[in-house]
Amino acid sequence: MSLTEALTTSLTGLNAAQTGLSLVASNVANAQTPGYVRKTVSLVNSSVGTTGGGVQVASINRVLDRFVQAQLRTESAGGGYADLRAQMYEQLQNLYGAPGSTNTLESSFNAFTTALQALTTSPGDRPTQVAVISAAQTLAQQLNGMSAGIQSLRSQAELGLADDVSQANTALQQIAQLNQQLGASQSDSATAALEDQRDSYIAQLSKLMDIRVIAGDHNQVTVFTTSGVQLVGAQASTLSFDAQGTMAPQAQWSADPTKRTVGTITLTAPNGGGTTDLLATNSIRSGEIAAYVDMRDRTLVQAQTQLDQFAAAMASALSDHTTAGTAIVSGAQSGFDIDIGSLSAGNSVSLTYTDNGTGTQHAVTFVRVDDPSVLPLSNSATTNPDDTVVGIDFSGGVASVVSQINAALAGTGVSASNPSGTTLRLLDDGAANTADVNAVSATVTATSLSGGIELPFFIDGATPYTGAITASGLQSTGLASRIAVNSALAADPTQLVAYQSGAASGDGTRPNFIYDQLANASHAYAPSSGIGTSAAPFSGTAGAFLRQVISLQGQAASNAASLKQGQDVVVSALQQRYDATSGVNIDQEMSDLLNLQNAYAANARVMSTVKDMLAELMQLGN
Amino acid sequence: MAINSIGSATSPIIRSLIDMRAQFDDLQRQLSTGQKSATYAGLGPNRGLAVDLNTQLSAIAGFGSTIDTVTTRINLAQNALSAISDIGNSIRSSVVQGSSSAGLAGANITQVNAQSSVQQLLALLNTQGANGYLFSGRATDQSAVDTYDHIINGDGPRAGLKQLISERGQADLGADGLGRLLIGAPTATSVSLSEDAVSPFGFKLASVTSTLANATITGPSGAPASLSVDFSAAPNDGGSLTVRLNMPDGTSENLTLTATSQSPPGPNQFSIGATPAATAANLKSALTAALGTLAGGALKAASAVQASNEFFDADLANPPQRVDGPPFDTATSLIAGTSANTVIWYTGEAGAGSARDTATARIDSSLVVSYGTRANEQGVRSVVQNVATLAAVNTSSDPNAADLTAALYQRLAVNLAGAPGTQSVNDIAADLAGVQTSMKAAKATHQQTSATLTDFLQQIQGVSNEQVGAELLALQTRMQAALQTTAMLSQISLVNYLK
Repeated sequence: MSLTEALTTSLTGLNAAQTGLSLVASNVANAQTPGYVRKTVSLVNSSVGTTGGGVQVASINRVLDRFVQAQLRTESAGGGYADLRAQMYEQLQNLYGAPGSTNTLESSFNAFTTALQALTTSPGDRPTQVAVISAAQTLAQQLNGMSAGIQSLRSQAELGLADDVSQANTALQQIAQLNQQLGASQSDSATAALEDQRDSYIAQLSKLMDIRVIAGDHNQVTVFTTSGVQLVGAQASTLSFDAQGTMAPQAQWSADPTKRTVGTITLTAPNGGGTTDLLATNSIRSGEIAAYVDMRDRTLVQAQTQLDQFAAAMASALSDHTTAGTAIVSGAQSGFDIDIGSLSAGNSVSLTYTDNGTGTQHAVTFVRVDDPSVLPLSNSATTNPDDTVVGIDFSGGVASVVSQINAALAGTGVSASNPSGTTLRLLDDGAANTADVNAVSATVTATSLSGGIELPFFIDGATPYTGAITASGLQSTGLASRIAVNSALAADPTQLVAYQSGAASGDGTRPNFIYDQLANASHAYAPSSGIGTSAAPFSGTAGAFLRQVISLQGQAASNAASLKQGQDVVVSALQQRYDATSGVNIDQEMSDLLNLQNAYAANARVMSTVKDMLAELMQLGN
Repeated sequence: MAINSIGSATSPIIRSLIDMRAQFDDLQRQLSTGQKSATYAGLGPNRGLAVDLNTQLSAIAGFGSTIDTVTTRINLAQNALSAISDIGNSIRSSVVQGSSSAGLAGANITQVNAQSSVQQLLALLNTQGANGYLFSGRATDQSAVDTYDHIINGDGPRAGLKQLISERGQADLGADGLGRLLIGAPTATSVSLSEDAVSPFGFKLASVTSTLANATITGPSGAPASLSVDFSAAPNDGGSLTVRLNMPDGTSENLTLTATSQSPPGPNQFSIGATPAATAANLKSALTAALGTLAGGALKAASAVQASNEFFDADLANPPQRVDGPPFDTATSLIAGTSANTVIWYTGEAGAGSARDTATARIDSSLVVSYGTRANEQGVRSVVQNVATLAAVNTSSDPNAADLTAALYQRLAVNLAGAPGTQSVNDIAADLAGVQTSMKAAKATHQQTSATLTDFLQQIQGVSNEQVGAELLALQTRMQAALQTTAMLSQISLVNYLK
């Protein structure tokens, strides 16, 4: 043991105190830096000479609770998802307006029916007629406006996806780069800052999508989606998103790339690896990206469908006329004649017959189709859950229609023929008595304002709404964005009353029909609106459907808001726990500062004493 | 719980302060708007019900305004109907008085009075409500009746009531003014009376009764009908022959001729001659004189009433029946006029179905009332028709003025009183009063329902000021405490105590 040993030891003490001091300075300076993790120094005893022991800085440690960190990453994906959905639902709710205010869909609809009520009382009154037209125009504009709003929210989601994907790409590349840097360097004080940085990129990524982070050797991490797709290993995969410029109700995501008209997220593995469509494989299940996809492809599409169904029900209710067939007996056979000459695409002939073998009744609906590429139709093409739907291509004339119907009815005992003109005759098999035709009717859309009580009040852009099915989809898709009051009717409101030539100006027949159809008549709505099921479609008045729509949307928005609140609590609690461990506590740093100051002073004191003692020794010789 | 100093902006304390501030703003919004939420999402589980209630309230408001509109219209119609009824009654009382004290000056005044009454009636029938003409059925944009001048005097080539009465008068009276009856002498001792043709015009022989001795009566029989009186010897003095004649308007008159031994005979008497042939000749001349008088009075009045009935029992789809002529005095049938040659007095709608159903109003989700009216309904038409007849027939200038006036007044008085079982103006008014009662009841129900629903809606959409106030107060206290502690906490840092 020598004095120089003590001197060396106290020197290591001074060094350690200085290192500690610089860490305190760094902690205090970064107290507000997001993602900064508090650093501590870990000291070890080092032997100096024979008896003395100096102190040595073993490592700079990040104070981190890895379990909380992993949980926080998982929950922040959920938080991102819930936040964004709640936010978009809130915007969607704004489209439905404030309850009780005058610019909501329900108040427009109510104003329209009230105007119609007045018209039934004063059919010949010009101002009342004009009021009906303008209330109808307001309603149509309301539907147009809400559709535009929904589509703009979808566009917003599309742009948001593009943004999020590019953010995710940056994060992935940075993580990969930091992985490389961390692998190359030794685990020392420099690595702590890099790890902080990498964690902050992972945190960013975890808000965008649900990820799982696996820590490997040599400070490496591998990031997977929770569904198991690897995003970053030694190298980063690339995400790409082909954003579409404009968004229309018809634009929908499809697994078939030729039918897809909105963007999808593609993952390209590094080094010329393969590509995967992450939306087709449903690989992203949470985070902002999942929320955007959910809104763009489900929630908002459904909201649009609800408006479309409402618009379609209104249009059809006023324009569709159902005619029962004329009973006919031909020899031993009996059945019905029905005229199919005025059927438009989407109009139908309904047949019900009883199979006498089993005693069961069957319903078949023949739908006019002008685009043969959509054939055959599925049974869900009509809202009736119990019928068999057969699409009939009318382009080949009546003879071809009859042969198509006969092909569809083969083996049932019912057969079709064409006695003359455009008359379709459906007969049972007479003496064989395997089937009885119960009823035949045709539903035809009125295309002219006179010649019947039904009228094309609302039209689809410039064409009547007939419910046609074409290769580009159902006519009802996006109808709410195109629905308008028939311009011929708007130009001549007396047509609201004049349902046939010679009808008196004060004849209430048509106004009463219009009012009854909208206020009291029940209609069926397609289950794609999210209301009702295909086995039991929702059926009710237009007002009742509207109530369901608003109720459903309000409930969904309210659920999204409470989910967000719940998720916020979880995320914030985790964040608090994480901060309690990893955050910088100024008080603690200050008390460390005092300790370090004392330690420095003590070590300096030792040095000063050694120096005095050495001076004493030097003076012995004198 | 660990207490952290105020460090980063994401600190939970800051977050809860922001949340509280947002709650504060929302409560403030609730207080100022009185609405629980600005979106349907915020209304809670009853949001669907709120939509329903709004729909129901809007429908009820619609029913309310319907009731208001219809009430106005029915009130207007009721006023018109009561005025029409008053005019009918006043004319009736003046003809009843007139027929008992027939004087030519009085007749003139009554006719002038009738002319202005017709104008009033027509004006009343053209009453317009907020929704066009009240008495035009469904054709609310068309006036219900034509103008006075057109109806009475005609419109250029289109004949009016006066012309129809004149034509019918010619057809009924015949050229010789004997009511289209032929008086003949088949043998020297007999007199025959026969209709000139099978036609709807003139006198129709209904029956004959006789207390004449030594006279053989045959008929009336055959087509055209005829009867004859054959004397075998002198009839008894005071024996009489009564011929019952049907008039064009459905009434009938008795023509009685009494045998007398005096010469010259008085009115409606014939002298018993020395021989049956002389008696027959006397009877023939007495019959000719009596028929001429009856034709100039009762038949002419009945003819005018019937012509008026035919003129007013018409609408665009069913034009009036007119005499098929000229010549009119030998006409044997009626022919339908056209709108080109005859004025159609009723210009409104006259489709199938009851007049009431031409205007309907839904005053409740399940209650539809019918309150339409047409000017050509029996009750209204009867008043117009009879008053117009009086206005159109000029009795004072007629040679048989006194007879004609009495016969016409008598018929009009009966017709204006209305036959039992036919509709009167009061029946129409009673129908409308029934509608008024239903509407009153419906309105009361609506008011009650509306109050209940509004209350319910208020519970869903609205807020209680007391509750919001209390919440605001509680929140304010919490916020103040939180802000205070946050401020204090930010002061307590070791940094402040280090020298």
